Amino acid sequence: MSLDLISYAAFFLTMALTYAVMCLGLNIQWGQTGLFNVGIAAFVAIGAYASAILTTPDAPDRLGGFDLPIAVGWLGGALAAGLAAWFVGALTIRLRADYLAIATFGVAVSVQLCVLNIQPLTGGAFGIGFIPRPFNSLAGDPLAFGLANLALMAGLVLVLYLALQHLAKSPWGRVLRAIREDEVAAQALGKRPVRFRLQAFTIGGAIMGLAGAAQGHFIGFIAPDNYLPILTFQVWAMLIVGGSGNNRGAIIGAILVWGIWALSAAAVSAFVPPEQQARAAALQIVMIGVGLCLILLLRPRGLIGESRSLLSTRKSRKP
Amino acid sequence: MNPQFIMDGLVAGAMIGLGAIGVTLTYSILRFANFAHGEFLSWGAYLALTVSGGLGFLATGLTRPIAPFSFGWSLPFALVIAIFLTGLLALALDAVLFARLRSRGSAVIILVMASFGASLALRSLLEFLFTSKPAYYTKALQIAVRLGGGVRATPDQLLSLGVTVVVVVVIHLLLTRTEIGRSMRAVSENPALAGIAGIDVRRVIRFVWFIGAGLACIAGTMTGLLVQIRPYLGHDLLLPLFSAAILGGIGSVPGAMIAGLIVGLSEAGAVQLVGAEWRSAVSFVILVLVLLLRPRGLFGRAA
Amino acid sequence: MNGASHIATAGAPALETRGLVAGYEPDLSIVRGVDLSVASGELLVLLGPNGAGKSTLVKAIAGVVPIHAGTVSIGGREITALPAHRKIGEGLAFVPQTENIFATLSIQENLQIAAAILPKTRRAERIAAMYAQFPDLAVKPARLAGSLSGGQRQMLAIARALMVDPPVLILDEPSAGLSPKIVADVFAMLTDINRTGVTVVLVEQNVKAALAIASRAIILVEGRIGHEGAAQDLLDDPILARLYLGTGQAMEAKRP
Repeated sequence: MSLDLISYAAFFLTMALTYAVMCLGLNIQWGQTGLFNVGIAAFVAIGAYASAILTTPDAPDRLGGFDLPIAVGWLGGALAAGLAAWFVGALTIRLRADYLAIATFGVAVSVQLCVLNIQPLTGGAFGIGFIPRPFNSLAGDPLAFGLANLALMAGLVLVLYLALQHLAKSPWGRVLRAIREDEVAAQALGKRPVRFRLQAFTIGGAIMGLAGAAQGHFIGFIAPDNYLPILTFQVWAMLIVGGSGNNRGAIIGAILVWGIWALSAAAVSAFVPPEQQARAAALQIVMIGVGLCLILLLRPRGLIGESRSLLSTRKSRKP
Repeated sequence: MNPQFIMDGLVAGAMIGLGAIGVTLTYSILRFANFAHGEFLSWGAYLALTVSGGLGFLATGLTRPIAPFSFGWSLPFALVIAIFLTGLLALALDAVLFARLRSRGSAVIILVMASFGASLALRSLLEFLFTSKPAYYTKALQIAVRLGGGVRATPDQLLSLGVTVVVVVVIHLLLTRTEIGRSMRAVSENPALAGIAGIDVRRVIRFVWFIGAGLACIAGTMTGLLVQIRPYLGHDLLLPLFSAAILGGIGSVPGAMIAGLIVGLSEAGAVQLVGAEWRSAVSFVILVLVLLLRPRGLFGRAA
Repeated sequence: MNGASHIATAGAPALETRGLVAGYEPDLSIVRGVDLSVASGELLVLLGPNGAGKSTLVKAIAGVVPIHAGTVSIGGREITALPAHRKIGEGLAFVPQTENIFATLSIQENLQIAAAILPKTRRAERIAAMYAQFPDLAVKPARLAGSLSGGQRQMLAIARALMVDPPVLILDEPSAGLSPKIVADVFAMLTDINRTGVTVVLVEQNVKAALAIASRAIILVEGRIGHEGAAQDLLDDPILARLYLGTGQAMEAKRP
C-alpha cells in the first residue's frame, strides 16, 4: 500500500517536474524578457512529436520511426521547437508587443491542425504510441521505475535551473535586464534589443520543446489532445503563481498548480456524477481564468515570487 | 473550382469582418489586443438564444418563421436586446478588470494577459451554463435558392449579407460624420491631447467597448444562425478576427471589413483546394504574410 | 469678454497655485511646492534651466501630470482634482509643446473637437471667429492637420485652445522647433491675444524673445520659484540672468 503511494507520488512529481521545465522556458520569455507567448502548447507539441518521430521504432503506417536513442530525441525536440520559436520571433519581435502574442496564438492553432491532419507523420487523432521510456528495463518494478524517472527529471530540472541562473547572471542576462529596464539606454550602449529578445524567445521555445519531449517519453504515448490551449493556460498559471522573473518560483509554482489541478480533477471524478463531469471541468477552467485575472489585479508580482517583475513597466518620461 | 466558394466566402467573411471591426476599434482606442473579443461573439450568440427562447415561451407566435427565413420575430427582437446585454458585459469586464489595470499604468502586455484570462473564464462559463452541445435558433430547414452562375444561397445567408452591409455603412458614418466618431479618432491618435481638448476619454472608451461588443453580438448571432451555436464559436473565430484586423490596418473600419472578406474568401477557397480540415490555418498564413510584407496592413497608419 | 461659464470671483487671481507638488511618479516630485499667482490680463513667462520643472508645472496645472499636494484655482475657483477634460470647461486652456494637434484629423475637425464642449448654438460662430483670427487655417479647412507647416500647426493648436474663449491660456514652449521668423509671428500673436484680455502663461527656453513680450517673469529652480519680478528688470540684469539661467549665453535666443 505505502509502496503504491510512493510510486504514485513519484509519478505525480515527475509529471509536475515536466511542467516545471515548461515553466522555466516561459520564465526566460516572459519573466526575464517580457515576451508574451500564447502558444506554449504548440512548442511543447513540436518537441514531443519531433522526439517521438526520432525515437520510436519503425512503423509501417507512418513516416519515420527512426529508432534513435532517447537523448537524441530530447535534443531533436528542443531543436525543432527552438527553430519554430525563432521563426515566430523573427517575424514579430520587431513589431508591436501584442503582435507576438497574436502570432503565437496562431502557431498554437496551426500546430494543433498539423498534428491532427498530417497523419502520415503524426498519426493524426490517435497520436503516436510506443515511445521508448527511460529505464524501461525497470518497468517490472513500478517503484524502481518511478523513482529512476523521477531522479532523471529532477536532474533535468536541476541542470536547467543552474544553467538558467548562471545565464541570468552572465553578461547576456545583464543585457537582457538592461533592455527590459530601459530599452533606449540599452540601445544607446550599442546593444540591439531585437536580437537579444529573439535569442531569449528561441531559448525559451527550445526549453518548452525539451519539456514536451521529456514528457512524451515519460508517458510513452502522445496525442493532439495533450496540447490543447488549456496546457498553455496551465503553464501560465504556474508561472504567475510562482512569480515571474524567478526561476525557483517557476518550479515551485509548477508543482503547486499541478498539485491543485490534479487534486481537483480527482475530486471532480470522485464526487461529481459522470453526466455532470464536463460541466465541472469547465468550472475548473473558469477558476483558472478568474484566478489569473485576480492575481494580475491583486498580486501582480506573483503569490510567492519576490523578484522584480515587468508588471509596472512605466515608460521613462522626460521630466 | 466551384464558384459556390465565393458565396460561402462572402458569408464567412461578413461575420469575420463585423468581428474584426470590433477588434480594430478597441485595439486603436485601448491600445491592446483583446483576446476576450471572441467571447463577446459567443456570449452574444448565447444571449440572443436565451432571450429568443424566453420570448418564444411568452408568445409562441413569435417563433413562427417569417417567410422566406428560417426564424421568427423572436430572433430579431432578441438580437436587439442581446446587443445591449453584450455591450453591458463588455462594460462590466472593463470596469472590474481593464480599467483598474489601466489606471495603474500597467504595461500593454499585462492587459493582453488579463484579456487572455478573461477569455478563458468567459468561455468556460458558457460551457458550464450551456454545455458544449451545439444549439440552434431554429429547427426549420431552408432550401438554398439558385442565384445564377452556379451559386446558391439560403435566404438567411442573403439577409446576413444585407445586414452586414447596413451595419458597416452605419458604423462608417458614425465614425466619420458624428461628434462621438470624431472623438474616437482623436482619442485613438492621442489620448492625452484629447483630454486637454475637452474630450472625456473614459466616456469614449466606454462607447467603444459597447460598439465593439454590439458588433460582436451581431456577428456571433449570425454565425449561430448560419452554422451553429457552440461555446467555442468565438474562440475559433479569434485568429481570423485578428488576421483581418491586422490585414486591414489597425483602426481602419473599411480595412477590417475588406480584410474580413479577404480572409473569408481565402478560407472558402482553401476548403475547396486543400480540404476543410485546413481552414483554420488560412488565417495564420495570411497573418504571417502581412507581418512579413506589410505589418501596418492595407489601410493602416505607419507605426 | 469671456463666456458666461467662466464666472470669476471679483479680485481673485486669474490663475493661482498653492503649495503645488507634482510629478509623474508618486514617489518622485519634480515640482516641489510652487505658489503662483497670475493676475487677470498678465502675460507671465516661466523660465529656468533644463529640468527645473517648468513643463511639469504647467502640465500639472492642466491636469496631465498627477498633482501630489497643493491646489490649483482659476478665477478663485479650485479645480485641482478635476480631470483634464473638465479643466477646459473651467476656462483653462493648455497648448502642449509637441503633438498639440490631431494630425490624422482635418483642420475643421480639430476645431470641431474643441468646440464640442460649447453649447450647440455657439459652435459655428466660434469656429468662424477662429478662422477670422487665423486666416491661414481658413484656406482649406478639409486639409489634414498633419500636412501643415510648423507655424501653421502652432496656429491651429492655439486656435483649438482659444475656441472656448478661455480666460487663461497656458503654452508649453510654443517656439520649440520653429524658425526665428515664425517664432516672431507666434509671439506677436500671443501679444495680440493677451491684449484682448486673455491671461497668458508661457513656458519658454527662448528667453530674450519671451521676456520682450512678457509683463512678468518667474524663474523656476529645482522645482521651486527661484526669482520673480518684472520682465524688464530681468532683461536689464545680466547677473541675475546668469545666476538662474546658466551662462550668459542663455540670454541668446538659442535652441536646436
